[in-house]
Amino acid sequence: MQALATAAEWFIGLFKAGADNFVGLVTGIVPLLIVLMTFVNALIALIGPDKIDKVGEAAAKEGLIYYPIRYMILPFLSVFFLTNPMAYTMGRFLPEKYKPAFYDSAVSYVHPPLGIFPHVNPGEYFVWGGIAAGVEQAGYNLSALAIRYLLIGLVVILIRGIVTERITAIMSKRAVSTEAAS
Amino acid sequence: MNKINKLLENIGRGVGRVVGAMYQAGRDSIDQVIKNVLPFMAFISLIVGIILKSGIGDWLAKTLSPLAGSLLGLVVLSIIIAIPVLSPLLGPGAVIASIIGTLLGTQFATKAIPAQYALPALFAINPQVGMDFIPVGLALGEAEPETVEVGVPAILFSRLITGPLAVVLAYFASFGLYTN
Repeated sequence: MQALATAAEWFIGLFKAGADNFVGLVTGIVPLLIVLMTFVNALIALIGPDKIDKVGEAAAKEGLIYYPIRYMILPFLSVFFLTNPMAYTMGRFLPEKYKPAFYDSAVSYVHPPLGIFPHVNPGEYFVWGGIAAGVEQAGYNLSALAIRYLLIGLVVILIRGIVTERITAIMSKRAVSTEAAS
Repeated sequence: MNKINKLLENIGRGVGRVVGAMYQAGRDSIDQVIKNVLPFMAFISLIVGIILKSGIGDWLAKTLSPLAGSLLGLVVLSIIIAIPVLSPLLGPGAVIASIIGTLLGTQFATKAIPAQYALPALFAINPQVGMDFIPVGLALGEAEPETVEVGVPAILFSRLITGPLAVVLAYFASFGLYTN
């Protein structure tokens, strides 16, 4: 009987720990998330998301200086204003050869801003939130980490865009030559 | 008199627009939180509770933490997740990334993994981001079928390079973060 009671206590303990964790998340993160998301959503509605179409047109141009526009500024603005998954529709302004690279770049940026702009992808908050909660429990301030995640994310998506653009070019050349041979 | 009327009308319309936008924004936020955020929190809390109380956490601290607490370990983790056959399977809903992140989070909380590894870890758990969604994502960008045909393998292989690269970059970018 005693063993059963101990087992039951252990069993319910698993969920009590989970419940404590849940309360911590709901009181710690949710209120800020709601207010912040309300602010940014209102801001986006007032500015009008279609304002970034011009950036999309500029990003389609050839030349070295347009790389950062295509794979840093455009993905950032798309993700910020249109959020996941509508951000990828901005690819329609680009020529076909840049579309895979732009998608790669934009989709890689739906998590790095989560520490500061959770509205971009609240459904996937825990890609950031899991590690962030641990770091915060260890007694560190999260802002420094959030800012670095956001900034390094920009560098990473630029690299991703360039690398994918190169690989796409190589692969489509190969696809064309095999088509001609057959 | 007409001018004043016009002015009042404009103010009224402007205020109405702002208040309407804010109210709608609030409604959207609450919707998002109830539909997407809270269910995920419930699920994550269940996992965390089981890990902390069942002893899996101690086992993790011994096996996973040495791996996640070094640059090499994180790079290896990112390469495994970025393998073109695996990455599309690991992508959906970012569930896998969230679970691994939460597991690592419990280790960061106990300082089993030093906090300066948080930044590279954030990139190491996520090289598969969006890999399940490439055809749909490209279609949203109005890409031709030929572009999708070339684009899917191109992005998958590109990740094998840029996934680990992002971890290394994040490692060097985290110098001076949480060191004292």
